[in-house]
Amino acid sequence: MPLFAFFAVDKRQLLTLTGEHLWLVGISMLLAVALGVPLGILLSRRRGLRAVVLGANNIVQTIPSLALFGLLLPVPWLGARADRLAILALTLYALLPVVRNTYVGIAGVDPPVREAAVGMGLTPWQLLWHVELPLASNVIVAGIRTATVITVGVATIAAAIGAGGLGEFIFRGLAMVDNNVILAGAVPAALLALGADLLLGFIQRTLVRTHH
Amino acid sequence: MSDPAGTAIEFVNVHYRIDGNHALISNLNLSIRRGETLMLLGRSGSGKTTTLKLINRLLAPSEGEVRVDGRSTTEWDVIRLRRHIGYSIQEAGLFPHYTVQENVALIPKLEAWEPRRIGSRVQEVLQLVGLPFGQFSSRYPDQLSGGQRQRVGLARALAADPPLLLMDEPFGALDPITRSELQHEFMELQKRLRKTVVFVTHDVAEALMLGDRIALIDSGALKGVFTAAEFLRSDNNIVKPYIDAFHAMQQTLKAGD
Amino acid sequence: MDRRKFICGVACLLAGCVSKKSALSVGSKNFTEQLVLGELLAQYLGRYTTLPVDKRFYLAGTYICHQALLAGRIDMYVEYTGTALVAVLKEPPSSDHEAVFNSVKNLYARKFGLQVLPSLGFDNTFAMVMRGADARRMQLKTLSDAASVSPQLRLGVGYEFMERADGYKGLVSKYGLKFREAPRVMDLGLLYRALQNNQVDIVAGSNTDGLIAALDLAVLADDRRYFPPYDAVPVVRREMLEKHPEVATALNRLSGRISAEDMRRMNYAVDGEKQDAAAVVKAFLARNAFSSTNFRQPRPVTSP
Repeated sequence: MPLFAFFAVDKRQLLTLTGEHLWLVGISMLLAVALGVPLGILLSRRRGLRAVVLGANNIVQTIPSLALFGLLLPVPWLGARADRLAILALTLYALLPVVRNTYVGIAGVDPPVREAAVGMGLTPWQLLWHVELPLASNVIVAGIRTATVITVGVATIAAAIGAGGLGEFIFRGLAMVDNNVILAGAVPAALLALGADLLLGFIQRTLVRTHH
Repeated sequence: MSDPAGTAIEFVNVHYRIDGNHALISNLNLSIRRGETLMLLGRSGSGKTTTLKLINRLLAPSEGEVRVDGRSTTEWDVIRLRRHIGYSIQEAGLFPHYTVQENVALIPKLEAWEPRRIGSRVQEVLQLVGLPFGQFSSRYPDQLSGGQRQRVGLARALAADPPLLLMDEPFGALDPITRSELQHEFMELQKRLRKTVVFVTHDVAEALMLGDRIALIDSGALKGVFTAAEFLRSDNNIVKPYIDAFHAMQQTLKAGD
Repeated sequence: MDRRKFICGVACLLAGCVSKKSALSVGSKNFTEQLVLGELLAQYLGRYTTLPVDKRFYLAGTYICHQALLAGRIDMYVEYTGTALVAVLKEPPSSDHEAVFNSVKNLYARKFGLQVLPSLGFDNTFAMVMRGADARRMQLKTLSDAASVSPQLRLGVGYEFMERADGYKGLVSKYGLKFREAPRVMDLGLLYRALQNNQVDIVAGSNTDGLIAALDLAVLADDRRYFPPYDAVPVVRREMLEKHPEVATALNRLSGRISAEDMRRMNYAVDGEKQDAAAVVKAFLARNAFSSTNFRQPRPVTSP
């Protein structure tokens, strides 16, 4: 009855909004991984940067998402386009799990393995490629998985600043005082988050070597 | 500028300090001859592993020079230096995500050997350490016993056929039977290969059995270099406790007959 | 490698979703008049052209509508020239209707690549509204009249009015108003109720508020021309007009056809009589014989 009545909502719009949502999440995650993994690798090499980078990430994480959107709105180039701003904010939120897990994964490589590899004459890049990244990949993908689920959730708030996505149904439903419309945004968003979690869990299990 | 008949590795007035002033190695002067098996014998914390790591530049001396094949370790390109030296450690440090084959083949691969040459070398070296290729090549380290892992570690160290070999208590974590097996196989291997080996141990029996010479390290200083016979005859008061312990062990075993 | 295939798959899914846009997307802000205007555009264009029309209403504010337009999520919405000038373009306010319209039209074209079409026919300017009885008793017809009695009056305003450059601050300085206490800020929808219940004496409402006709309320004239014009204009994406020129023709035919009276009545029908906005607009279009074959002459734009 009421729970699935939201299917009465315009299917085409549902598809459009879902597409916008996926776009926001997809671009942000791509950026978060492209920036976060190298940053995590860098942290595993330079002790001095750790406190600064992880500290900065922590601060960003504690800012509530709506507040972060609000803080970035007045910034000249960013505030001019809501999707730019939303993507920046989403990327910042996704960075911490990715950076931290990359760093922890690499640092967690068994010390004798690392010692043997270095003693054998692997260059730092070879060490990264043949030893550190493969052994850390499970933890890194786990970080990406966490980050993706977070991003799907925060992206619903992006509609509040005009970036589109499934949150638009939620806010519209609130304005119209119509639960069906709210659910039309909330349920697909929840399903997306679940789907992303399952998919990345599957990747985590199959793509990553099991002999660790 | 290497000296084929003479010195492979040389320590010249080497000091190694950490945390400003704490000396782990002081005033080390030692010459290791090509083709010999030199045992670094000492108690836990005596500095023998530190000494070993100064050879393949996992550590660099605070003072003095370590020369490999006539050139200071700080002059060598560190990667070339390490590829020139096989390294085998107590925990083996096998790559858990690579098969035995992949573990052993890694350095030859990185050295850009031809695939066929790599394949035959892996077979050859696994044979050397007593692991039949067909049975073991596609196993993962977590599917091997402790002894088997050590053999693979040794095979990996020998894969690119380096003239020098560093071994840090490689048999320390094994049960006595396996340890004895591997010790004997190592001796056979050395007779054939005649590599220059620097072998760290705290086990006096192992030192006496495997080494051409024994360098006794105590509190970061070299207390003497002996052949097995010289060692057993020595009055050096650092050596004495070892001899006593060795004899005591023999007595205990005899008494148990 | 499996990872690459996965990324390609997602990219295709994304592309697929985005390309499933309908032909026309009409947006609106989230208050009654905007909903009515959104319905007006949607129904009119739906009938006049044969294109399918998507409705994307209840967008929460000017910034969000503007963003949606820039990003192509909507193809058009109705904006007010004064709002466009001050809130979007951040230009200083002005009282000249023609000048404001031209500024907005030129700057929107230049800065955003958006087309501003001629006014629909009414000016939704701010209106300072009092209870009819009070206005008659105190003999107030204009805002200048109100200056001297303002210390007796309590003012009620909406959030935007407080913040905007063309809002509270300018009004008070232009007319020398000094209200009894700090203005009460509340949701737009609650202003008239507060006025009726004597919680406030004068509110900053809009010229086209439905309740002005329905209740006995008086609008004080802006004799010093403080409030800038807020002519209702369709703002449209140029790309969409290039693809569907018939939309421009249709919208031009709408220009000048909606009076402030029309707007007040439709607003009241939705707010006061609780009718459905779509139904109200449908009735309006039928009543005024808006059809592609039967068009009266467009009425000129006049300030109320």
